[in-house]
Amino acid sequence: MNDAVRIQQQDFSQDEEVAALKASSKRIGGIATFIGCARDFSEGRNVSEISFEAYGSMALAEMRKLREEAIAKFGLLDARIVHRVTTVRAGDNIVFIAAGAEHRAAAFDACRWLIDELKQRVPIWKKEITPQGESWVTPHP
Amino acid sequence: MIRVLFFGPVAERMKLREMEIVFQAGMRLQDVVSQLQASHPEAFEIVCFTAVNDTQVRDTQQPLADNDEIAFMAKFSGG
Repeated sequence: MNDAVRIQQQDFSQDEEVAALKASSKRIGGIATFIGCARDFSEGRNVSEISFEAYGSMALAEMRKLREEAIAKFGLLDARIVHRVTTVRAGDNIVFIAAGAEHRAAAFDACRWLIDELKQRVPIWKKEITPQGESWVTPHP
Repeated sequence: MIRVLFFGPVAERMKLREMEIVFQAGMRLQDVVSQLQASHPEAFEIVCFTAVNDTQVRDTQQPLADNDEIAFMAKFSGG
């Protein structure tokens, strides 16, 4: 099975990721997932494509740290984080987070925490390609 | 040598992704920051994070070692 934390060009399968998470422990009673996907409209403009760039080694190290921190902080049984670094079009998947815990509250909280922290701490940048030109995205809260 | 990396919006403003700086004994991160800030002020306007060897560094007085890798980065926008 693939690593629990990955940066990759290709799309991911939510089913495969959840199956891998479930296979890690039979004590899991709740799994929360988040999928970030590409929108066709942003800041009042149509968006044709979004192109991602990462500082690969640091991004992967930081994502692994995030997973370990989430497991410790929320008492998770397992967690998975996958981020694509490529060019995507509207509707395409960008990022996947899954948090598995004994009960739902920890899974929900950890999933939200993981995506929020990822946005703050992982060195990945996105550029929106629009009919009017290209521009790097200023982070949203 | 010190390897200096730029990504995304910073790379665009630098008009390059990577450069090398000759290492000198006693060199600190601030020496590299000052040198590049002076030569590329428009790129350093948007630098929010600095990393040395994959680890974010806030103290620019950090001493450097030969073969260190420094990255100057704009605010992240992944996810």
